[in-house]
Amino acid sequence: MGDVKLIIDGTEVSGPSGMTILEAANETDINIPTLCHRPDLKPEGNCRICVVEVEGSPRLVASCHTPITEGMVINTCTPKALAARKTVVELLIAGHTGPCVTDECAKDCELHYLAAELEVGPPRFQVKARRSYPMETLSPYVQRDMGRCILCRRCVRACTEIAKKNVFSMAYRGFHSKVVVDCDVPLDKEECRDCGICIDYCPTSALTKPNKGVS
Amino acid sequence: MERDQLLGMIKEEQAKNGSVSDGAMAHIAQTLHLPIGNVYGVTTFYSFLSTRPLGRHVIHICKSVPCFLQNGAMMAAAIEKELGISPGETTSDGRFSFELTNCIGACDQAPAMLVDDEVYGDLTPEKIGEILKSFE
Ligand code: SF4
Ligand code: FES
Ligand code: FES
Repeated sequence: MGDVKLIIDGTEVSGPSGMTILEAANETDINIPTLCHRPDLKPEGNCRICVVEVEGSPRLVASCHTPITEGMVINTCTPKALAARKTVVELLIAGHTGPCVTDECAKDCELHYLAAELEVGPPRFQVKARRSYPMETLSPYVQRDMGRCILCRRCVRACTEIAKKNVFSMAYRGFHSKVVVDCDVPLDKEECRDCGICIDYCPTSALTKPNKGVS
Repeated sequence: MERDQLLGMIKEEQAKNGSVSDGAMAHIAQTLHLPIGNVYGVTTFYSFLSTRPLGRHVIHICKSVPCFLQNGAMMAAAIEKELGISPGETTSDGRFSFELTNCIGACDQAPAMLVDDEVYGDLTPEKIGEILKSFE
């Protein structure tokens, strides 16, 4: 039992200091959706799917990287939080390229799963130019289709933190942000072998095993 | 942390050589024990750092909202027409490079641009033509 006491969805919870809201919620079986976060990666708060309302805070906070504090009163499922999550999914889908809806891979896509769960309707946002990049097929181990990438950075962290290889970096800015290899060259690196960790951690079909993915 | 020195080193390279080449990025990466992708990432994040050689003068047109609402896009189109180059390009005579940038703090004079370190505000396509004439 920890020393920080707080209330999540009306239930009194406690945990050690340094614990995140998400972890505290999960301990009491309260489910908060996540996308960019994985329990075994350092939280970065990139996607904002996991937002919750904290009483007294004017803004929604991302539960995956916000530590619990004494006396916090958190509501995970308010209309405001749900609306924000839904908008996040809509915006991510709007920037996406590829025939994802009809695509075989889409059934494994966490973004599509979230869209269904949050009851996201027909597209509301029109994007003038969708993110589109040539498919990278040079590497025998990982095929990259960056038009399908939602910039969660899970591959970047998995490669750095778990595989300890640092193959991927973030480059550019805003709408042009991209996960790159070296000075933005197609993936084909000596140190990138068949560990496949980035593929396992990618929530979309942006990273696939060659031959298995759709071309 | 070595990373703390990263931006300083990139800026120094930019100031010294006018751009940050792949070779320079590789050198910085090696010195700081960072993956080269991290150096590339930081360099490409900032519009005042460039990974390709630039012309003698660099035009930065502001694309942030206040300028956008004052026809900033039309000013970018005027530059394109005047010089025959798109953002990210350099004229064949090496006289101008043309870039887009986020807010340069001249919103009160929107639409605004920078040519090298000088701010030009309340732009019109005609005014842009005049301003560019004064650069060799
Ligand atoms: S490639 Fe996949 S894991 Fe990597 S940032 Fe894009 S969506 Fe996330
Ligand atoms: S899961 Fe928390 S911000 Fe992405
Ligand atoms: S928005 Fe253009 S200078 Fe601020």
